[in-house]
Amino acid sequence: MGLTRILTLAGFAATLLAGTAYAEPVNLTLWHMEQPPHRVQRMKELLDEFNAAHPDIQVKQEPQSWGEIYAKAPAAFAAGNGPDLLFTIPDFTTVLKGIDAVVPVDDLVKDLDAKHGFVKATLAPYQYDDHVWAVPAYNMAISLWYRNSVLKAAGVEVPKTWSQWQAAAEKLSTDGKSGIGLPANKQLYTDQTVYSFMVNSGAADIYNADGSIAFDKPETVKAYDFYSKLAKLSPADNGTWTWGEAEACFANSTCGMILQFGVINTYDTQAEGDAADLGVAPVPHADDQSESATISYSNAIMLTTKDEAKQKAAKVFLTWLLEPANYGRFLTMEPGLFLPVTDDGAKADSFWNDKTVTKYKSQVETMIANSHTGKLFGFTTGKVFPSIGAISAQNVIAETLQHIVVDGQSAGDAVKAGQGRMSEVAKK
Amino acid sequence: MRRTLGQSLSLYGGLLLIALVIGLPFWWVLTGSIKLPKEIIQRVPTMVPQSFTLQHFEKLLQASDFPVYLLNSMVVALFSTAFTVLLALPAAYAFFRMEFPGRNALYKTILLAYAFPGVVVLIPLYGLFAKVGLIDSPVALVIVNVAFALPFSIWMMRSFLSSVPREIEEAAVVDGAPTLTILVRILMPLIAPGIASVAIFAFISSWTEYLFASVLIVSDARRTIPVGFAGIIGQYQIDWGLLLAGATAAIIPVVILFALVGRWFVSGLTDGAVK
Repeated sequence: MGLTRILTLAGFAATLLAGTAYAEPVNLTLWHMEQPPHRVQRMKELLDEFNAAHPDIQVKQEPQSWGEIYAKAPAAFAAGNGPDLLFTIPDFTTVLKGIDAVVPVDDLVKDLDAKHGFVKATLAPYQYDDHVWAVPAYNMAISLWYRNSVLKAAGVEVPKTWSQWQAAAEKLSTDGKSGIGLPANKQLYTDQTVYSFMVNSGAADIYNADGSIAFDKPETVKAYDFYSKLAKLSPADNGTWTWGEAEACFANSTCGMILQFGVINTYDTQAEGDAADLGVAPVPHADDQSESATISYSNAIMLTTKDEAKQKAAKVFLTWLLEPANYGRFLTMEPGLFLPVTDDGAKADSFWNDKTVTKYKSQVETMIANSHTGKLFGFTTGKVFPSIGAISAQNVIAETLQHIVVDGQSAGDAVKAGQGRMSEVAKK
Repeated sequence: MRRTLGQSLSLYGGLLLIALVIGLPFWWVLTGSIKLPKEIIQRVPTMVPQSFTLQHFEKLLQASDFPVYLLNSMVVALFSTAFTVLLALPAAYAFFRMEFPGRNALYKTILLAYAFPGVVVLIPLYGLFAKVGLIDSPVALVIVNVAFALPFSIWMMRSFLSSVPREIEEAAVVDGAPTLTILVRILMPLIAPGIASVAIFAFISSWTEYLFASVLIVSDARRTIPVGFAGIIGQYQIDWGLLLAGATAAIIPVVILFALVGRWFVSGLTDGAVK
């Protein structure tokens, strides 16, 4: 080999190496709504680890708030400075899909499903219009929380049906304490708890197949009627409650039972912290139903970039995140609240080795089992209608309850009015 | 005239009631921030703390970006206040003293700026700031804060200017003082309490502004207190101790600042105003 050829090859190799060395990494911006400091910190740890292992991809987080994201994200996309990856819940996805900001992730979800096995209930709210619109990330499902010692002292069993539930709540309502704490605020938490009753009376679907509203039916009336009876056994200030107030009511033992996504963290740090005494069960079902169901929110991650290189990089990141070794640490950014959406994630050591999850293992197992029966209003029929975003945003389900507990209407009249409101909102 | 016993009792009773209504929430927040978590949420609330801890403040300062939010809020509020005062004073003087076509109509319609809820202009403003590269910049917040504080500040300032006797200005004119000198050297010292009031109004408006700060700021490192704090609190699980410690920490700088600033302004009131 002549000197010229050697020098030419060496020069070519050097050029290639230099090109590689100076190649710009693909930068991804991730917007999520996990703002509490410990969640931001856990995300940082995970992203630092990913970025170190993938020098050609750099992911940075920009935490946002659920309160503003419905206005902020569309404005950001319209101005051309939206994120590349964005956390979501089902109704938010419909909003962004409506402005063409979301990229389908069919192939990625198919691969991840084959590898990890998605819980069907977590994927269903994102499968419509022949595509999958987001990759499920974590699940949250409402359960019934109580103290074993309190139920035992009152001589009541863990309720499974509505008649047992009412009897238990009445028996626990003594000495200035409330047998149960249910919200009656015009707010999302009330939407969620009321819908937990609806799915347990056979009123899960609020749409007909043609998109018309199917809210006004005997099963819905029955759910509202029963809810309003239990709401009378709740603290008088329940008209102002959000999740935090209900949790505090349970933690300070004023409420014998509550419906909540999770109370473990608060119970552990602000109440007794006795794992053996903390009880969790499926939401009781109507006496004429055979099994319990609940409301669940499958939180997911949308791909929101049209840049192909970024799309490819985002898929690498999402694949990495759902690997069991990483996924458990993602979920335990909020131990006892965020539940796995994959079969192997539910078995991952990285999840079960968390200190809090280990301590409350039986409770977390029950929560996971409950989450498999989860449904979400507007996402139960396999078809999704854009008006669900407005119905959810205007808290029409909670507003209907207020007609009963505040205005004194009958459940039948309130549900009829609720049907009218939903139809009106759907037309706009 | 001496007050009767009944009048005195009514007066002090009324004052005590007002003090309680104003002071109790502060007391509640302040004492709650140093209670142990169990005491904060216990069924029968305690007016006087039965426990003492600084754990909420430690968490606030060490595990969250609260100090960064505090600094950002301070910078945005101070600049917003300075620009509001600097613009409101000459504008108010122009409305008060200068003759120009449409003066009265313009003055009467200036408050129409408040007829539009902030949320209506939120999205257009976002697009506008995005075009000029001011998204995620404190400059955008200062511009918005000044724009929203200015109309009412002009109204306030004009009222203070109208309380200054015209003879003082005339004396300055006789001495040959130009308009700017009259405004800066004669009127400003006289309406110092008015300027302080406008400054306080502008500062608090900026300090508590949430809507625009939540949308125009994107990164955590540039958030102001109301937005950053809302994130710290969380949605499904509320750390009440952290919330109360954050509220206390957010109040203290404002109280200290205005205890000092307010006194300084008021002390110069009308000193040497009339020859």
